[in-house]
Amino acid sequence: MKVLVVTSGVPFIRGGAEILADNLCQALSAAGHTAELIFIPFKHYPPNRIPDHMLACRLLDLTETCGVRIDRVIGLKFPGYLIPHPNKVVWLLHQHRTAYELWDHPMAGDLIHHPDGPVVRDAIRQADRELIPEAKAVYTLSENVSDRLRRFCGIAGEPLYNPPAHASLFYNNSAGDYLFFPSRVTGVKRQLLAIEALARCRERTLVRFAGEADSPKELAACVDAIRRLKVEDRVEWLGLISEEQKRELYANCLGVLFPPVDEDYGYITLEAMLSSKPVITCSDSGGPLEFVVGRQTGLVANPTPESLALVMDALWVDRRWAVAMGEAGRARYEDLNISWKNVVEKLLC
Amino acid sequence: MAQNRGLRILIATVRVPFVNGGAEILAEGLRRELTEAGHRAEIVAIPFKWYPPERILDQMLACRLLDLSETVGVAVDRLIGLKFPAYLIPHPRKVLWLLHQHRQAYDLWQHPLNDLHQYATGAAVRAAIHRADTELIPQAKGVFTISNNVAARMSRHCGLQGTPLYHPPQDAGRFYTAPVEEFFYFPSRINALKRQDLVLEALAQTRLPVRVCFSGPANEGAFEGMCLTLAQKKSCADRVQWLGPVSEERKRDLYARSLGVLFPPVDEDYGYVTLEAMLARKPVITCSDSGGPLEFVVNRQTGLVCDPTPQSLAEAMDSLWEDRERARQWGDAGRQRYGDLRIEWDHVVEKLLA
Repeated sequence: MKVLVVTSGVPFIRGGAEILADNLCQALSAAGHTAELIFIPFKHYPPNRIPDHMLACRLLDLTETCGVRIDRVIGLKFPGYLIPHPNKVVWLLHQHRTAYELWDHPMAGDLIHHPDGPVVRDAIRQADRELIPEAKAVYTLSENVSDRLRRFCGIAGEPLYNPPAHASLFYNNSAGDYLFFPSRVTGVKRQLLAIEALARCRERTLVRFAGEADSPKELAACVDAIRRLKVEDRVEWLGLISEEQKRELYANCLGVLFPPVDEDYGYITLEAMLSSKPVITCSDSGGPLEFVVGRQTGLVANPTPESLALVMDALWVDRRWAVAMGEAGRARYEDLNISWKNVVEKLLC
Repeated sequence: MAQNRGLRILIATVRVPFVNGGAEILAEGLRRELTEAGHRAEIVAIPFKWYPPERILDQMLACRLLDLSETVGVAVDRLIGLKFPAYLIPHPRKVLWLLHQHRQAYDLWQHPLNDLHQYATGAAVRAAIHRADTELIPQAKGVFTISNNVAARMSRHCGLQGTPLYHPPQDAGRFYTAPVEEFFYFPSRINALKRQDLVLEALAQTRLPVRVCFSGPANEGAFEGMCLTLAQKKSCADRVQWLGPVSEERKRDLYARSLGVLFPPVDEDYGYVTLEAMLARKPVITCSDSGGPLEFVVNRQTGLVCDPTPQSLAEAMDSLWEDRERARQWGDAGRQRYGDLRIEWDHVVEKLLA
């Protein structure tokens, strides 16, 4: 099949969505299809630029190329997924979040502060409600994304999980003496919450943090907290590490800490499961909650330092339970059929 | 230029899905050179479909609606527009380096290989393209073209001035020369606009036992079949080598060993073949209606410019076949001319960012 993967994004910014789009194209090619990525640039401010970009997408024509039919268009991100096509499937990574659940979010909300905000929000919602159902099928990145789509737009979308990069290279070695917290260092991943929890642990729990800071400010906030709460001797701050090091740290940890704010999906949960490790997450973490079964494959805390400290201690004192939950997590990963083969089959059927 | 270090640059072009050609290689080459010069550069490629004609208007509007002025609060320092309609994207610091305009609305209007004029809406769409180009191209801070041929067409049809800015072929540093063997080389995609058929007709009319080696992929199977039949019919098949697609390495070897290079296309925008021949110190035979090559070939100094007829082309081939020493001298003069023309990426980057 000739397949176009259509997405939107901001030039010069490369994040998870861009990597996923590339991986999808590779998986389509590996399955014997001809696939290309169409990237429509997007600028979301001032708010009146958003309808312009929505209209631009509606004006493009991907039905054929040089007289040859394009068999399938797969839309990923707003507003790219609005491009019309008779054989379109949407695999929604997320909608324009500040028009939905982040509308009045104290940090993320942006449209709400602008006089044009409500009108633009309504235009986005109307376009999504009317145009997403044009697709032959609607899939989403996760139950969390499906749930928002159902709640705000009344549209059903089936979660379609994709594996993390190099899934087959993850392994388990031993239940070592540390919890592992791999993530970009930024507010919504809540490294600060983990540091505050660590200060309240009864046990001598050790946490290894890995990942690059989004900004020097974010990094300074964590370093200050570690000093202020006097947990220097129970924190190892690794910064940016290689993929190989990351897998080794997964393989030798006791468990994985992943307590973000309302994550869309979250590869870290899956990487932990592939490494047969239990995951500690929070009740408002979004994506991870689709995979972590409380007290069976990990522990779900309330998003407070006290609650998080309790579950960290609980895991620390019962290593056999930690190992058993890790193994159950690995078994659960297998049961969920998380593979590119499955993704490609669903998106092309 | 210190003030130009580390700019954030977007290259705006269009792409026809699943088609990869010279324009894609050029955009990628420019991106690479900008990056090597210490800038951050990315390609924005808007999908383009030119039929039915109304769709062209939709896509022109789509381009006008995009906003590439900044990304998350940081200015995009320069937008470099390459192809229609992506070069219509507005930007306060835009420079154009036109590969070509939408030729079907200009020099190829009513051309047998083009069908825009056959649609009921064709004339109206053509007028809209003319108007958009005439009003919006001058919004750019600078207007460059890939060749004088492209600049001349724009001047003729739109009354707008553009400065030709030449860039080198891929891997320019890897071309070399070698002792001459008994063949002319014609490397090009096999299609009607490159006129392999004209060369075969000419070959049948040469006095001398001239041999020609053709290489290149065929994107129109019918035309290739027609060429092969023609060679049989004219009984010159024994003097033709038809290689099909060859590797870049083999191509450079064939340039190096050839007696001269044949490149007689119809109104080429630019034409890397001419430059590659010059880099390999070979004279170029081209035609008076070939466009781009005429900016580089100096008649009877670095090659021969003949009429686009089999007879004229046959005479040119015979005359070089006969006088190897002159062929060698013209090849050397071509290499000299290449150096004089400053066909370098550094120069391109400098001009586009000035």
